[in-house]
Amino acid sequence: MKIALMNGSPKPGNNNSGILLKKIEPLLGEGNELTSISTSGKELTPDQYRALCEMDVLLFAFPLYIDALPSHLFRIIIELERYMKEYKEKEVRVYVLINNGFYEGHQCHIAMKIMENWCKRSGLTFCGGIGQGAGEMMGTISNVPLGHGPLKDLGKAMVRISENIANGTQVEKRMLSPNVPRFFWKLMATHFFWNTTARKNHLNRRDILRKL
Amino acid sequence: MKMIIHDLDSAVFNSFIPHVASDISVLSDTGHIKPCIGCFGCWIKTPGICVRKDGYENLGKMLSECDEVTIISKCIYGSYSPFIRNVLDRSIPYLLPYFTSKNGETHHQRRYNNSFVFTVHFYGEDLTEAERETAKELVAANGINFYSSKEKVFFYDRMESMKGALG
Repeated sequence: MKIALMNGSPKPGNNNSGILLKKIEPLLGEGNELTSISTSGKELTPDQYRALCEMDVLLFAFPLYIDALPSHLFRIIIELERYMKEYKEKEVRVYVLINNGFYEGHQCHIAMKIMENWCKRSGLTFCGGIGQGAGEMMGTISNVPLGHGPLKDLGKAMVRISENIANGTQVEKRMLSPNVPRFFWKLMATHFFWNTTARKNHLNRRDILRKL
Repeated sequence: MKMIIHDLDSAVFNSFIPHVASDISVLSDTGHIKPCIGCFGCWIKTPGICVRKDGYENLGKMLSECDEVTIISKCIYGSYSPFIRNVLDRSIPYLLPYFTSKNGETHHQRRYNNSFVFTVHFYGEDLTEAERETAKELVAANGINFYSSKEKVFFYDRMESMKGALG
């Protein structure tokens, strides 16, 4: 089976979408032909677009931006619709892994619908996916194995979606919050991410709060 | 202050709204807008200002001066067009990085105290019911995230039919 792993993050280097794809890759089983495509910082080439039309599966991973897809990725899927209509000769199934910076995975549900609407327009088979909350935590817990600690539910969902990809079946839309209490996540985000990162830039809390 | 953000060709926009009042700022596609790259520089390097310098770095401050924000966008898959999406992605310096809860959901805290009426005019010839419903949900969700005082959504099968509504 030909599977494209589409990293839809605009962030260069290590990003949370890439971490999710790395975690699911071993679950996809052997005998598949995997193609990893980054969308960060550069346009896709016509050859890449045409190659995507020959895939059996497109597995998208992307961050939620203002309740929807990041604009650079949105431009890509619009162009990909055009290519699909011209070059696609067989069924192409689409699975989606969305991560958002809030706690609640369900805030990904509109982006999931946009992907579903795109599939209908493009003649693709939408097969569902996962909306994961607290996506910004992925970088700090990337060494935690799937199915353990904060990634307990995500691990189960990843196994399920991998089985669905292998079987050619649809997965229900799974919206997941991390397996940590909300207050703990919020504390970590505020003090150990925003404030700590700002301090490294010689900024204090008053600077962060400034009005222009 | 009012702001119109649109994805129309300038000639079309000018034919729809020939005279723009002095209290209205218009944001259009110059072809040079850069995508947000999720660096969070607008929160923890230069708070309130995007670090990407392309003429769209001050969207947070611009929104803070508005009591009305009107978007004119082609509706694509139930979303805004790429330019409008790009503008919204680059608007996060309007908010703070810190979190709060609204109706049981996490959202970003507000940086400014203003609120604006958020009106979206979607055009598109053959929108499906699913796309319209998705677009309505998207505008409502954006309204929550941007602390709008009210959201209004309109759909037009033909671009020309917007003329009367916008004039």
